[in-house]
Amino acid sequence: MPNRRTFLTIAGTLLLTGGMARHASAETAEERAAAFVRATGDRLVAVVNGPGTTLEKRKAMTDVINSTVDVNGVARFCLGRFWRQASPEQQEHYLNLFHQVLVTSITSKIGEYKGVRITIGKAQMRDEEAWVSSVVERPNNPPTNVDWVISKPGTDPRIVDVVAEGTSMRLTQRSDYASYLAHNNNDIDSLISAMRQQVAQAS
Amino acid sequence: MRLALRLPALLAGILCTASLCCMLAGCATPPPASDPDAVADFRETNDPLEPTNRVFYTINNGIDTAILRPAAQAYRYAVPEPVRNGVHNILNNLGTPVQLGNDMLEGKPRRAGDTYMRFLINTTVGVLGFFDVAKRWGYPNHDSDFGITMALWGVPEGPFLFLPVLGPSDPRDAAGFGVDIAADPFTWVGRGAAVKGLDWSRFALNAVDQRERALDAIDSIKKTALDPYATFRSLYRQHRESQIEAVRNDNRATIPVWFPRTASTDR
Repeated sequence: MPNRRTFLTIAGTLLLTGGMARHASAETAEERAAAFVRATGDRLVAVVNGPGTTLEKRKAMTDVINSTVDVNGVARFCLGRFWRQASPEQQEHYLNLFHQVLVTSITSKIGEYKGVRITIGKAQMRDEEAWVSSVVERPNNPPTNVDWVISKPGTDPRIVDVVAEGTSMRLTQRSDYASYLAHNNNDIDSLISAMRQQVAQAS
Repeated sequence: MRLALRLPALLAGILCTASLCCMLAGCATPPPASDPDAVADFRETNDPLEPTNRVFYTINNGIDTAILRPAAQAYRYAVPEPVRNGVHNILNNLGTPVQLGNDMLEGKPRRAGDTYMRFLINTTVGVLGFFDVAKRWGYPNHDSDFGITMALWGVPEGPFLFLPVLGPSDPRDAAGFGVDIAADPFTWVGRGAAVKGLDWSRFALNAVDQRERALDAIDSIKKTALDPYATFRSLYRQHRESQIEAVRNDNRATIPVWFPRTASTDR
């Protein structure tokens, strides 16, 4: 009975591939996050340890940051409750400055990071985000455990936080801004001007 | 005056002065109840002694800029990295008795076993602790102090403290620091001037070693933070929290590797 056999084969294949697909998609979120961090890490290490002038390296590093970090998401998180209180104009200024502060604070350290090595470890899901562990080694410094927090790992992976030895960059930044605002009458404009000064000093 | 000043006595003195200053100086004024968001922030920050803490932060910062940071820079400049690592390992090895005690008080037998093996291996094969051979043999170092122990016992951390010389802390960690010093056999061994001298050199070397390891990180925080004090406060708490969680979540079984395993004992 060829018909029945064909039917069974097709059904079996469907079941099998269906099962495999389900199995694969259950794994991909973590695997994709780990692969994404590995690729990003490779890009960063290539820029830092690669040839080129400091200016070229900064340009390349900025490209990496823009394409892998959810800068606006992180910025909103760091402003906390003040994001809602800010006027659209203030929000725009703030986002723009936050982007510059982030880029300059990372790119200004390119020299210090020469010889850096990143070893990617395990990845695990926590709520909607994937945490990818790694060990960052650089000359003159003890090895550091760094977790990379990735949002939407399955579809559009973006770095939303970097956690070094248990300390989250975005949480620390948020408390820095919160404290600054608390000591400056919760005035968002004064935060914006402080950030503007920071950018001017760095460049 | 003899040079018989004891380390614990001095530290107790520092802590007493600190708490006295806190009482004398003002406390932070909480925001008005009409602004619930600000009140929530104030509670979350948990730093009622902020004005006093900031004074000590400024003083410590001065001491650091004048003495500790240059010392750490000189140390990094003069001593090659492998030797610095060796010194760091020796200091760690001297801390293992206290570490072992805390591992046991935390009720973590596997961690206590790791510490015990580390002490045996590194003191002998590792030449008095200079080489961390135990790490390569599967006994990595871990954090353990009485502050962590008390956290696991359920003692609350209390408000944030910035202590003179010692830096960011809280009542639980400050008390834990004192207990660790009192519990350290090296604090009580011998009474001669030579032993005291060694005690103090260990204390000083520890400070320089720790500072050297944090040189780049602290420099970059001071450069990039709008409010370095608040940033250090946040970093200190997060770091302690992650150390405590690491101990809490280390529930490795105590069954030997060669023992036949069943599914239920596999984890």
